[in-house]
Amino acid sequence: MTLSRAHTLIPITLYAILLGLRLLIEITGPLGPITGQLLTLLAFYIALGQAFNIFLGMTGYVDFGYVAFIALGMYGMASGVVRAYEAGLPGYYGIAFGFIQTVAFTALLALAVGGIALRLRGAYFAIATISVNEGLRYLVEGLDLWGGSRGLIVSGPLIELFGSEGFSLLATIISDILVFGVALLALVVTAILLNTRIGYALKAIREDEDAAKIMGVNTTMYKILAFATSGILGGLLGAAWSFKIASIYPSDAFNILYTIEAIVLVMLGGAGTLAGPIVSGILYGALKYFLAGVLPGFQLLIFAPILITVIIAAPEGIVGALRTYLPTIRRFIA
Amino acid sequence: MLPYYIVSGLLLGSIYGLATIGLTLIFGVLRVINVGHGAYIMIGMYVTFWLFTLYSLNPFVTLIPAFLVGLSLGMLLFYTALKRLLRAPELSTLIVTFGFGIILEESAKVLWGSDYRGFVYDLGSVYIQGIPLPLVRMWPAIIALSLVLALYFVLYRTRLGTAVRAVIQDPEGAIICGVNVEMIYLLMVALGIGLTTASGALLGIYHQQGINPYIGHLYTLRAFVIAVLGGLGSPIGAFIGGLIVGVIEQTSVPLFTLAGAPNPFGLSVFLTFMLILVILILRPQGLFGR
Repeated sequence: MTLSRAHTLIPITLYAILLGLRLLIEITGPLGPITGQLLTLLAFYIALGQAFNIFLGMTGYVDFGYVAFIALGMYGMASGVVRAYEAGLPGYYGIAFGFIQTVAFTALLALAVGGIALRLRGAYFAIATISVNEGLRYLVEGLDLWGGSRGLIVSGPLIELFGSEGFSLLATIISDILVFGVALLALVVTAILLNTRIGYALKAIREDEDAAKIMGVNTTMYKILAFATSGILGGLLGAAWSFKIASIYPSDAFNILYTIEAIVLVMLGGAGTLAGPIVSGILYGALKYFLAGVLPGFQLLIFAPILITVIIAAPEGIVGALRTYLPTIRRFIA
Repeated sequence: MLPYYIVSGLLLGSIYGLATIGLTLIFGVLRVINVGHGAYIMIGMYVTFWLFTLYSLNPFVTLIPAFLVGLSLGMLLFYTALKRLLRAPELSTLIVTFGFGIILEESAKVLWGSDYRGFVYDLGSVYIQGIPLPLVRMWPAIIALSLVLALYFVLYRTRLGTAVRAVIQDPEGAIICGVNVEMIYLLMVALGIGLTTASGALLGIYHQQGINPYIGHLYTLRAFVIAVLGGLGSPIGAFIGGLIVGVIEQTSVPLFTLAGAPNPFGLSVFLTFMLILVILILRPQGLFGR
């Protein structure tokens, strides 16, 4: 699809409203049922969906090991901060170093996995990605990297570096703004990709990979490009989120739940659409936030059947279905 | 020491092989990868656990009820989802089988809690070079081997097996020859899941420290490594792949311990998973695939 200005305007306005609300709540306190925590959760899920959409939505390949990127982001940031603390450097160096490490780790992982597994088709790729995710987790535990299964304590160094006030700001509003930033970055990247040669190539791959290859599209290169972009954004999200986590454990950081949620978000909203992740991120985040109060521990049992129903009944997702049944809105929603 | 680890690797590997055959059978016939594979192994383990602890049923006999539970789950999976997705893109079946696995795990968590539950079953030991090898590890291997031989017989010596192999080779050709392809699909999904839960019943004995609803994850991954090693869609390749992975795991743990690794078990699992990347680079069709 070719994007018009209206296509990008609506999502960006939504982002601005959500971010504005978050900042407002920071000053005024909760507005009715809308709390800072809720908006944090929405931002996280929008960013997760938006970042994952670049790969799953555009290529049609499922990366069941996506959480590995988020985990590497968490570890990249946390170990950067801890290293700065141990070296006696100011905290800002630690955060900058954390972001650099995150990008380096995730880019490296994307190139290694993508270079090997993306030469293969869907099923083999899915298998390879699950293995890599679990393999990395056991590598962290097995080699005792970053504290191994005892966890990497990051709140202590952060408090030492920024003071307890600075730390609580970092863990709430600053981290939230960073998460919104990642979501926006992912949106912009998606919009750019959709409108360029790369986007056309990816779409051709998703529709018919053999045909694309015959037409001279370097399928492997484009797939790796989408994979790495999506992975690095996932890493940045993990890095931004890590300030909220006191200590990082392999079993939590590599929790497959993040992958499931990413798949739900993309498929529910509409794979490959621009507005899909926002719609599903708001729906999913709000549902999860309010369900956690009513039925704690049942979220997955509720979301798995929803996912299956969506796949069978409406494989094009909410935004995709809207575009199919209400052709007039195509001018505004992509 | 080495012969001991090789023997125990082969014993464990034969169950790994059985645990993977269901995956390759379903892939071979339907071209569907059951991403929720391990959840069915977990269900098999719970069947054994409950029948043993509540009714003192011999764990090896619980294989039969576990198999029947698997058959019904397989039929449920086929009728509710896979049947509707036969022509859908690969993405759909990957996500749906994944979703079914989650439903099983979460239901198990709601029903039985996420704490580890275990049982101990002992039949005495035989000695290899003075090291005791429990007999409860011998029987599962013998049972697994007989099940695999029975499957081989069905696939290669009966009319049903001929029909199944015809569907694997060319579904449309099979329809023309009068094979009820949908029936074959149903039977193979049911049989595949049944064999998987049955292998769970045998694997429970290896988890004396207990099982929990998420124990299947590790087995999903192992099954993937083994299936790729043996060539996806090749049941016999899966069994041999299982033996290889069993031996690699059992011999690498003591090696890593000797090398002074902080967590030898973790490293051995890492090694198994990295194996998949090596195979995918060198021989994506698997050791026994064409």
